[in-house]
Amino acid sequence: MATQVQARRQRPFPWAEALKHATIVLVCLALLFPLFLMVMMSVKDKEQIVYEFFAIRPPFHLENYTIAFGYIAPLISNSVVLAVGSTLLTVSVTALAGYAFGRLEFPLKNLLFGILFAKMMLPGIMNLIPSFTLAWKLGILDTPLPVILFCAGTSQPFWVFVMRTFVAQQPRELFESMRIDGASEFQNFRYLAVPLLRPMIALMSINVFVFVWNDYIWPLVTIQSFEKRPLTVGLAYLTQANPGDYGMLTAGYVIAALPLLVLFFISMRQFIEGLTAGSIKL
Amino acid sequence: MAAPRAAARRRPLDQLLLGLAFVAPALLLNLVFDWYPMFDGIYRSFYRWDGYSTAVWVGLGNFERLLNDTVFRTALWNMAFFLAAAIVLMFPTIVASVVLFRIRHQRTQFVYRVLFCIPMVVPWLVIMLMWQFMYNPQYGLFNRLIEALGMPDLTQTWLGDPDLVKWCLVFMGFPFVTTNAALIYLGGLKSVSESVWEAAALDGAGPVQTFLYLELPLIAGQFKLNLIGTITAAMTGYGTQLILTKGGPGFASMVPGLYMYFSAFKSQKYGYAASIGLTLFLMSLVITLLSMRFFKDTEEA
Repeated sequence: MATQVQARRQRPFPWAEALKHATIVLVCLALLFPLFLMVMMSVKDKEQIVYEFFAIRPPFHLENYTIAFGYIAPLISNSVVLAVGSTLLTVSVTALAGYAFGRLEFPLKNLLFGILFAKMMLPGIMNLIPSFTLAWKLGILDTPLPVILFCAGTSQPFWVFVMRTFVAQQPRELFESMRIDGASEFQNFRYLAVPLLRPMIALMSINVFVFVWNDYIWPLVTIQSFEKRPLTVGLAYLTQANPGDYGMLTAGYVIAALPLLVLFFISMRQFIEGLTAGSIKL
Repeated sequence: MAAPRAAARRRPLDQLLLGLAFVAPALLLNLVFDWYPMFDGIYRSFYRWDGYSTAVWVGLGNFERLLNDTVFRTALWNMAFFLAAAIVLMFPTIVASVVLFRIRHQRTQFVYRVLFCIPMVVPWLVIMLMWQFMYNPQYGLFNRLIEALGMPDLTQTWLGDPDLVKWCLVFMGFPFVTTNAALIYLGGLKSVSESVWEAAALDGAGPVQTFLYLELPLIAGQFKLNLIGTITAAMTGYGTQLILTKGGPGFASMVPGLYMYFSAFKSQKYGYAASIGLTLFLMSLVITLLSMRFFKDTEEA
């Protein structure tokens, strides 16, 4: 008893520390509340939403999920095509360019890099309408191509910058020794740079994938046929077409959110560290 | 035998071709799908074009019309409102990041960071649609909450109320902690050497003093970066309005970006839309540069 009292006197309750935790926990709760509400509503039928909004009690209407899945399953594969296509194209051109800008010496290098980098600093608002007319003139509207090509055109400069910095940080001797062994520059890239760049490539892939998966306005504008549209556009349409059917709709929202959440929890550490790391070099 | 050595000292033309082989795909995509649309947009803003018939040169006509366009003027005022709100509401993120950074227990801090990240991974559209649901006058959370508190007279139409709609759209950021910005601040704070914090603690600096004189100045660079993002997003963004209000009721939540979108895709006035785009582009560029200048001056002072 006595020792306990003494121990307590030596270490007073850490109010400051508790306050910090309380603040952050409250912020997290508020941040996650819409998601909580989404899951809660997704198992209710219309009557339950109207008459017992705040109650969490059976019967749980899991059929909401099967109905919603029936609507959006085809859209999921559309989203996958768009996101995977954009990621593959963007990552491959970026890795090549990042390697060359970081490793090789060639005339006009700084000018070419400047062209790539300068557009990144400018607001992109002007691009929407002329981009649409360009896609129109190219005859690629209503295909996955506008999303994939414009994603590769607009989102790689930042990553070229990141990869260039990373490649330039690697010891020069590494690449020189390969060259003396008679390796071509492309072999150098393929067998030395790509493995080295793997963490950057993973990080970039996740980011591009998430960006395209979540994109709304550009696919809405360029893909007119409903059955070709991605998940985001389909969900907004479904919401307008089924006013008040919030059990089914929120079930659809949950299904739409799940793939990325799973991806996130698989690659969590890389994802967060990468997001934090990218900003240190300011 | 001499071949590798010769390869190491290539002629400039060969070097250029080799370099181009690597950077051409990225550069071409960037030129065609990013740079070209921008210049095309500038060019089109001097034409009247419905998308089908031949474009007609109107000189500065689109811009003259824009000056006298009352919808555009309303949209600009609304934009100013959203911009002011967005800048003021950058503050909670800073506080949250500093508090999170001060949590010394690394594993707990990591768990919190993971929770911070979740809203970013969930499609932004899903979060928007959930807020739309919460504001829904018939089925939504807020009116249900007000009824449950026994004040059914106070229920609102929320997004349908011209006086409330802008505040509702701003409140959607609640609790006003942006994941991306928070991670950028955290990255900045983490890159500061440990000895700085130890020295501050030894000097007996309190939590508020440390915040004002250490943490705030240390993340000034990150703040600038986030400020550019916030300004550009608030001035040129319109996704929220497009999904939730279509600029309404009336034009109560119309913003210039959305007006541009509607001018092109609803009214088929592509030239006019391009001129709105160019105006917005220049405005956000100027305001960004001005705020950068302002911060440079305050830093030197």
